[in-house]
Amino acid sequence: MEFKLEAHRIVSISLGKIYNSRGQRGGIKLHKNLLVSLVLRSARQVYLSDPCPGLYLAGSPVPPPQPGEPAAGPPAGWGEPPPPAARAAWPEPETPPERPAGPDARRAVDAEPAAPGAGDTLQGGEEPAGGAAAEEEEMETGNVANLISIFGSSFSGLLRKSPAGGREEAEAEESGPEAAEPGQICCDQPVLRDINPWSTAIVAF
Amino acid sequence: MSSQRSFEPCASEADIISTVEFNHTGELLATGDKGGRVVIFQREPESKNAPHSQGEYDVYSTFQSHEPEFDYLKSLEIEEKINKIKWLPQQNAAHSLLSTNDKTIKLWKITERDKRPEGYNLKDEEGKLKDLSTVTSLQVPVLKPMDLMVEVSPRRVFANGHTYHINSISVNSDCETYMSADDLRINLWHLAITDRSFNIVDIKPANMEDLTEVITASEFHPHHCNLFVYSSSKGSLRLCDMRAAALCDKHSKLFEEPEDPSNRSFFSEIISSVSDVKFSHSGRYMLTRDYLTVKVWDLNMEARPIETYQVHDYLRSKLCSLYENDCIFDKFECAWNGSDSVIMTGAYNNFFRMFDRNTKRDVTLEASRESSKPRAVLKPRRVCVGGKRRRDDISVDSLDFTKKILHTAWHPAENIIAIAATNNLYIFQDKVNSEMH
Repeated sequence: MEFKLEAHRIVSISLGKIYNSRGQRGGIKLHKNLLVSLVLRSARQVYLSDPCPGLYLAGSPVPPPQPGEPAAGPPAGWGEPPPPAARAAWPEPETPPERPAGPDARRAVDAEPAAPGAGDTLQGGEEPAGGAAAEEEEMETGNVANLISIFGSSFSGLLRKSPAGGREEAEAEESGPEAAEPGQICCDQPVLRDINPWSTAIVAF
Repeated sequence: MSSQRSFEPCASEADIISTVEFNHTGELLATGDKGGRVVIFQREPESKNAPHSQGEYDVYSTFQSHEPEFDYLKSLEIEEKINKIKWLPQQNAAHSLLSTNDKTIKLWKITERDKRPEGYNLKDEEGKLKDLSTVTSLQVPVLKPMDLMVEVSPRRVFANGHTYHINSISVNSDCETYMSADDLRINLWHLAITDRSFNIVDIKPANMEDLTEVITASEFHPHHCNLFVYSSSKGSLRLCDMRAAALCDKHSKLFEEPEDPSNRSFFSEIISSVSDVKFSHSGRYMLTRDYLTVKVWDLNMEARPIETYQVHDYLRSKLCSLYENDCIFDKFECAWNGSDSVIMTGAYNNFFRMFDRNTKRDVTLEASRESSKPRAVLKPRRVCVGGKRRRDDISVDSLDFTKKILHTAWHPAENIIAIAATNNLYIFQDKVNSEMH
């Protein structure tokens, strides 16, 4: 469990670094951002592979779902951040699923750093606007957890089923009560093998 | 070691020293700072009249090398910080050096003027034209001594060669060419030609998403003008031969040490990134610095380094905090002494470390005001990591990570070292053992 917490924290910190690097004098440092994206990838792998899933740090304790069972909808633990936040973090694909990782993941990184700043609006007004710094940070980690969970559930869904079936499975997990839209899922087997969407932070070059 | 000098600090960030380099004789020492300035120090000749001030370094010249620029196309500011200075071998009375920021390399010529002509026929002492009716005879102007004036002029500007940030420059032993390296490419320039350069290494992948490593440092071999080495963020070194092909993407030798699986952590990749690589003066060895160690490599053995020295292994358990405060990205340099028997590198808390390759002894010294009173002897320091603590030990938790020694240089022949501690320059001389062993 503590690995998951640690990994979550490192993902948060890393995303913050990537976001802050945009305002740096002299332009984005390619070397540093590459290293940060490698740490991000390692942390994400640990986060997803930790056998203790289903943690939303801000929410109340909920029994975490077993990784093996298909969820009827997102469990309450996932579901705390309202769908608008999920949707903002989860970009809509424009390209066919074969190679979606590029533009979508780029937008994922674009959207995610925007989240801390626009945390209030993204949360759909659930949190009071102009909340305390602690609340904003909570939202930030909430978005991160949400983002990871979306990637995680989608990937693990695809792992369990064939591409067609996995698609439906992952859709059900991710959107819950909402109607699944075709093409909502942007990940595919080849992308899964790479597990590379984070490193597209450097696609800016 | 006796200390010799330190300089007054200024509060601004522009004064932070970003590079230090002795010239080939050690007579001159150049420093570059974040504000784009270069300061050159000259060693005073030892005189019998004042034996106590023998061989001290005084300011010789100061000039503004680079200014901040703005790339309008990319809406990016280009920092004026001097990343590297390299001296050219001296070929006449003038000295020349290359200085570079992130994008542009400049060749500077430093000349002395200690005489001036007096007795012009048409001009008076202030340079005003004389009234011709007052000129009754012709005289030959005579050179008279004057106060020494050091003049610095930019002779070449090598611009637009790099898309990414330049991290190294290295002058070839042929004294005609030099190379500049950025994160993904290395270019070869001729010192006399500024409008074109040859790309000799290009590791940019076709798809930037596939990027896994960048170039972190590079250097020409000191004797073989066809060989150079470059280090990567993955911890590997590639020795390349320019005779083999025009584009040296295929290395002649790959120096890589397999990772120790017991040390695996989130930050393994970061701490294995090589921040500096230096050939030994002999040309037989290479010295590399990564976050926690310095390693000596034999050019004849690619599988692993022949020597590994721990600089500050007590930081291994603190990598997460160092990642948070960005210290894990600090790029420390390393240096050989003139005889290749001792290696030196900086650390935190204004500590720097020296390792004697023959005796296998190492020492930690501190560059601080207290330790650098004239003729003070540097006292070895110790960082305690728990267990028995001696009186003057520093505990790991009280190390000051804002005081980092990234840039150090060793005189090519004598036991004189230059240490850059943020915005202060310290020069230490070993008067007792002034000859190399």
